[in-house]
Amino acid sequence: MKVTMKKQIIFVLFMLLIPVFAIAQVMTVKGTVKDTKGEALIGVSIMQQGSATNGTITDLNGNFVIKVPKNAKLNISYIGFNKTTVNITDRSIIEVILEEQSKSLNEVVVIGYGQMKRTDLTGAVTSVNSEAINKSVVTSIDQVLQGRAAGVQVQQNSGQPGASMSVRIRGISSLSGSNEPVYVIDGVIIDGSSSSTTSNPLSSINPSDIASMDVLKDASATAIYGSRAANGVIMITTKRGKSGEAKVNYNGYVGWQEMPKKLNLLNLQEYAYLKNARSAAGIVQADSYFVRPDLLGAGTDWQNELFTKAPMTSHNLSITGGSDKNTYAIGAGYLNQDGIAVGSGFERYNLRANIDTQIKKWLKAGVNFAVSNSNQKVTFSDESLIKTTLKQTPVVAVRNADGTFDGPQTTEFVLTNPLGLALSKENYNENTGIRGNTYLEATILKGLSFKTELSFDFGMNNTYKFSPSYSFGSIVNTTIESERSKSYSKYWVFRNLINYNTTIDQVHSVNLMLGQEAQRSGWEYLYGYRSGFVSNVAHDLSMGDASTAKNSGNSGISTLSSYFGRLFYSYNDRYLLTATLRHDGSSLLAKGHNWAWFPSAALAWKVTNESFMKNIPDIYNLKVRLGWGLVGNQHVGDLYAYTSVLTSVQTATWGTGLLSGNTANPKLAWETTSSSNIGVDLGLFKNRIEFTADVYYKRTNNLLLKLPLPAYVGTTGMGSTNAPWGNIGSIENKGIELSLNTVNIDKRNFSWKSSFVFTLNRNKVLQLNSETGVLNDYVQEGSENNIVTRTAVGQPVGQFYGYKVIGRFEKATDFYYKDAQGNIKPTAIPTGMTISENGVWIGDYMFEDVNKDGVIDDNDRTYIGNPEPKFTYGIGNNFTYKNWEFSVFLAGSYGNKIVNYQRRWLENPRENNNVLFSATQYAVLSKINEAGPVDYRNMYISGGDPYMPRMSASSASSTSNFRYSDRFVEDGSYLRVQNISIGYNLPRGLMKKLKIENVKIYANLQNVYTFSAYKGYDPEVGAMNQDVLLTGIDNGRYPSPRIYTFGINLTF
Amino acid sequence: MKTINKLFLGLILATPLLLISCSESFLDIQPNDKLTLDNFFQSESDLKASTAGLYNKVWFDFNDKFYYGLGDGRSNNMYAPYSDYVYPFSDLTETSLTGPLVSAWGSFYNVIGQSNNVINNIRKNSKNVTEEQKNTAIAEARFMRGTAYWYLASLWGNAIIVEDNTILVDHPVVNTSPRNDVFEFAMRDLEFAAKYLPATVSQAGRLTKWSAFGMLSRVYLSYSGISDNPNSAVRNQTYLDLARKAAQKVCEESGLSLMSNYADLFKIENNNNPESLFALQWVPNGDYGVTNTHQAYFACASEITGDDAAWGFYTLASANVISEYEVGDSIRRKATFMAYGDTYPELKQATGGYTYIVKHNSKNSCNIKKGVVGSTTDTKGKSSKMNSALNTYMLRLSEVYLIYAEAILGNNSSTSDATALVYFNKVRTRAGLTAKQSISYEDIRHERRVELAMEGQYWYDEVRRAYYKQQEVLDHINLEDRAHIDLYNYDKVTNICTPTVNANARAVNQATPERMLLPYPESEVVQNPLLKQAPVSYQFTENRITDLFN
Repeated sequence: MKVTMKKQIIFVLFMLLIPVFAIAQVMTVKGTVKDTKGEALIGVSIMQQGSATNGTITDLNGNFVIKVPKNAKLNISYIGFNKTTVNITDRSIIEVILEEQSKSLNEVVVIGYGQMKRTDLTGAVTSVNSEAINKSVVTSIDQVLQGRAAGVQVQQNSGQPGASMSVRIRGISSLSGSNEPVYVIDGVIIDGSSSSTTSNPLSSINPSDIASMDVLKDASATAIYGSRAANGVIMITTKRGKSGEAKVNYNGYVGWQEMPKKLNLLNLQEYAYLKNARSAAGIVQADSYFVRPDLLGAGTDWQNELFTKAPMTSHNLSITGGSDKNTYAIGAGYLNQDGIAVGSGFERYNLRANIDTQIKKWLKAGVNFAVSNSNQKVTFSDESLIKTTLKQTPVVAVRNADGTFDGPQTTEFVLTNPLGLALSKENYNENTGIRGNTYLEATILKGLSFKTELSFDFGMNNTYKFSPSYSFGSIVNTTIESERSKSYSKYWVFRNLINYNTTIDQVHSVNLMLGQEAQRSGWEYLYGYRSGFVSNVAHDLSMGDASTAKNSGNSGISTLSSYFGRLFYSYNDRYLLTATLRHDGSSLLAKGHNWAWFPSAALAWKVTNESFMKNIPDIYNLKVRLGWGLVGNQHVGDLYAYTSVLTSVQTATWGTGLLSGNTANPKLAWETTSSSNIGVDLGLFKNRIEFTADVYYKRTNNLLLKLPLPAYVGTTGMGSTNAPWGNIGSIENKGIELSLNTVNIDKRNFSWKSSFVFTLNRNKVLQLNSETGVLNDYVQEGSENNIVTRTAVGQPVGQFYGYKVIGRFEKATDFYYKDAQGNIKPTAIPTGMTISENGVWIGDYMFEDVNKDGVIDDNDRTYIGNPEPKFTYGIGNNFTYKNWEFSVFLAGSYGNKIVNYQRRWLENPRENNNVLFSATQYAVLSKINEAGPVDYRNMYISGGDPYMPRMSASSASSTSNFRYSDRFVEDGSYLRVQNISIGYNLPRGLMKKLKIENVKIYANLQNVYTFSAYKGYDPEVGAMNQDVLLTGIDNGRYPSPRIYTFGINLTF
Repeated sequence: MKTINKLFLGLILATPLLLISCSESFLDIQPNDKLTLDNFFQSESDLKASTAGLYNKVWFDFNDKFYYGLGDGRSNNMYAPYSDYVYPFSDLTETSLTGPLVSAWGSFYNVIGQSNNVINNIRKNSKNVTEEQKNTAIAEARFMRGTAYWYLASLWGNAIIVEDNTILVDHPVVNTSPRNDVFEFAMRDLEFAAKYLPATVSQAGRLTKWSAFGMLSRVYLSYSGISDNPNSAVRNQTYLDLARKAAQKVCEESGLSLMSNYADLFKIENNNNPESLFALQWVPNGDYGVTNTHQAYFACASEITGDDAAWGFYTLASANVISEYEVGDSIRRKATFMAYGDTYPELKQATGGYTYIVKHNSKNSCNIKKGVVGSTTDTKGKSSKMNSALNTYMLRLSEVYLIYAEAILGNNSSTSDATALVYFNKVRTRAGLTAKQSISYEDIRHERRVELAMEGQYWYDEVRRAYYKQQEVLDHINLEDRAHIDLYNYDKVTNICTPTVNANARAVNQATPERMLLPYPESEVVQNPLLKQAPVSYQFTENRITDLFN
């Protein structure tokens, strides 16, 4: 208090030193401007109403002094606060309290080819701002959306640094592989789809460059992107400069990552006991080292060897600023994330700059560049080392006494030394990309503008693989090999837009946009290989033996030509209409079928703007939205699917051979998705409670799909022709999305805000026009290629498909049952097996005879689980207390199933590799009468876990018990404490002295804890290779790390 | 200002119009890494390129594991208790899901599909080529298709016959045809090939009419045993005669002869030797899909391959096949299976050769040699990891010699026919064995098994025999006691093989008439339930060639 007084006195004295011109009827007004919490506001503009020159701003304590005529009015304005006008009326000292603007209402939302005030939206659009990005440790922009945007389901496909995500906006709308939305980053369209689990096309983008992300969900919002929009559109705006003093921001953190969970695998002693049991059962030869397991140590813990604490650092620097006519933003970023698994990691450099300039009053131009370079180490995942890590036995030592890598002592059951391999092999990808956008915008007449824009994205991807010579115990590799590949991609889009804005009679507001766009994307690929290197030192191809050289190359181009228009009409800010129409032609589809129209229309009613609502002040905002639209998808997996091509085959000495490459579909056309949406936006109590609800129905027709054909058509395996792509079938998605934001407490020193999002989606296949009517997907493991999911008419997409375990043969009578008529019948057992010790026996699983034909065979497989969650949700809570900030964010999924596929091996006690501890709990059999024969009538289960089968000597019985059944399907529901962050803003007084605007120190804990019954590493499984039909199958997924970071955010 | 506005207005209106006018060509993209059908089949070299692909890639999935896994595994030439691509076959426990079975089925149909594409594209699209050139190329494709159908008929019996894959794409749910029709389809293809393939070829390794006659002799011989009674004990004399005539063509007219050294047959430098009638043509250092992977599965130690792809430590000769070798048959045994103390100078050349001193659970069992060619340095760059350029024999002259003898033997219990003895004994004497004066079926069976061991043939010999002496074959398999015999001690000097009997070794199924055929892959039955229904006779449209032996 004293300090303030003193300051005020000094200020007043200072003011007195200024010569005062006492003019008649002029008075001096002193005042203070504060916010609702009583905090002084600095730099608030105070203008005398009606005067263009007489004005001032508040000082560091929120005080101002102005000379104005008596009875003048003051206009007081401040960014982010509601403007207000104060009547002086003889007062010489005034206090003004400015109310903060309700952010979301005045927020500008980026929509296709333009932007709009959130209040004017007619479609379903969800936004995530940079605050959310700052409050979590994200390395890729798609991670931000997880649990934060209703209607968007995000799953990480792998915990590997730089790996891909599965992002589903409003469910699954295509079976052709990609269901990823497109990302429009400052006008550049980037496809989110990837064909591998490890690579993520979005990983080159630095999340801290992002100002906002707007998710366009329903067709009325996305239709303007008609041709690419079937899976939704995510608009990303990067940070741009503002006029005013330059601001420099540094944000950096350091941290470490660790495995959140370990699987309980056998140690050496336990392994020895099991091996002895296996040799007693005649499965393996006895091991002379294991005569006294109790004398053995723990052996190698391969999980500890391969998974380590891994460091992570990030530094970001940005400078923004500008004058009235020019604004700029410059940014640089660096990220280095080592993987928790040895042989993985990700490093990225980003640079970007944008400049906007008002050349003439009527002409504006801008340029925007972003350069990125990233390096991803993928040895661990490419070599499937997670499986080796889990399966390698504790017998094998990691290193020899001299520090070199050891390995198995015989080549009998060769599993390599995963650590040795991870550290010896070179395998990384380097990506360099330049993304840019330039535009010129002319205002021709009042309200009429023309914009021409060229955006481009160049990408260079180099892969480096080098396999040195090594010896791990008896595994010897003397062949040194090197592989290099270079690919280059070039995308550009040229776009012209005419925009017309007008208001007629003050109530009819019209915005009309017309546009044209041409897009081309092309890629080239070049590959080289040599072996026969002299040493492990130099890795480039020229060091290899030229006679071993292999090389290849290919390329592809696709183009898209589009015309579109949008009309926005608003009557008296109460009734809103948005209508769009788009016409697209694609080079990927057959001539004559490659052009299509995509219309949409949406209506909204701002109920709160009606006069009858004025009496209900508690309802701050109420808007009802209704929309319909049609969008397309041209995502054909093969170029030239509409024509017949021949592909080359190498021959030994006869030159290039040729084989038919595909079966053409000369009628290949667009896949179309129509969707309807009803939504409500509700704001209560001065928008302290904001609630949005949307209900939608989405139907995709003419599904683009490679025809699922049996192998005898010649479309499977090496040398086959690709099956034709067709427009087959249709699929529906319907769902509900809710989001709720509340300001629970908003006191001077303490605030508490919550957010809640809820997403519910149901999908169903309505039609598959193939004769066979089902779509299977497979997982190959060793030489077994198994159907794991089936998609069929009337069913949800990609359900797990296998056998059902209905129990275990516990006693002899279980082999028979009484049917409805009271006849005794034999229980169904697998075809080709008999009741015998090497066949079906006490302790084996009983499978459901689905088709009731008395035997268990392929026809008895059925749907055993749906990977789609019943719903997903996110809960966020933010607290501030004085200078402290605290936030907790939880994300969850309910009702989805996961296949823990590796349990088929890791829980099978007969396997010749390390297994889970649970495998040792197999059913133990004993004779009822010790003197009796080994006969199923004389056996009972004397021990073990009640859910485990016996350990059988015969491979047939073991294969039968560990067939793909619901035994391996687990509940995938989880609630994850995704993020806890705590931040402290250093006191402003101190900062002022240092001329620093703000310093925040923070700590962040990511992937804190997961509540889940799932037995594998991580219930967030995602989809293998982003393939929607392989969702929820955990077959050695790289676990997501727990991340601890400490950082500082500095602005001056 | 106004002029500028007008300028802009003009620009706005003009740009889209300009773009509309050229947008159709903007969408017209021509591939740069592929050919389209419209610009191919325009010359003889085009035709040759179109059949070249039928010699490797389409057979890859068959060759990779099934070739030996079934051909030798199921007939108990191999003992590989930890290789899931072998033991389900030798244990008779394969199912509709067994990997190699599924991929071989697909591979045969890829051979068929791509052959059909060649045949139909040549018929529809070829220009500027003579009828003779067309027929030669079509004959090559029909040979491949016929061979694939012989495999399908032998393994699955009833099979789906396809002549045009584009039709099948639209209507994939079709009936199978009965085994006899599948056989006939194969014979018609091979007869066409025998008629139109040339006697000599400019490119070594391409098919000749001798390849077709040789394959025909095998198919005729198989077919001669088929009747409604699998235990009839007699073969059809007409087809025995055809087999004899076809074999005779090769033996007496082709001018081809055996290699003098048996072991040389299995060296990369001797690919396409005069004894080779049909061999898959693998590419030295080629891409995955056009190379021979056998070495990686057979080599018992990574010191042989020079890389970590040497997964054959427990892929062994069975005690049963080792016992089959007669005293003195060491040339073939050593070239096929490694015995303790054997030295192979062509392997590990850098250290002066490789000596096999591997023990399995302190026993002298034998690893596999055929198909093992050595490291990249040993082969001068023609092998690398999972990759060798060693041709896979699909038909060798010595087999045709044995077929010739067997066809002459016919339904007799033994023969001293001079011609039969000449060719039979050529095979024996090359192996360093004494000639026989009289031969029985048992002599031929033994000779075929030993001569062609690890060349994917012996199971088909058993299938062929089971067409007319089924019970004998079943008993023979069931008496082998595959369930209990595992490792063995083999002394190469005395040629004594002492098997060990392990009470709990393996759970095997009994051989039954049903198990003489394989199950259809599950994915196929799921997509086409008609596979489980009775077959429907095939309607042949062309006339069968009858003038081959005039």
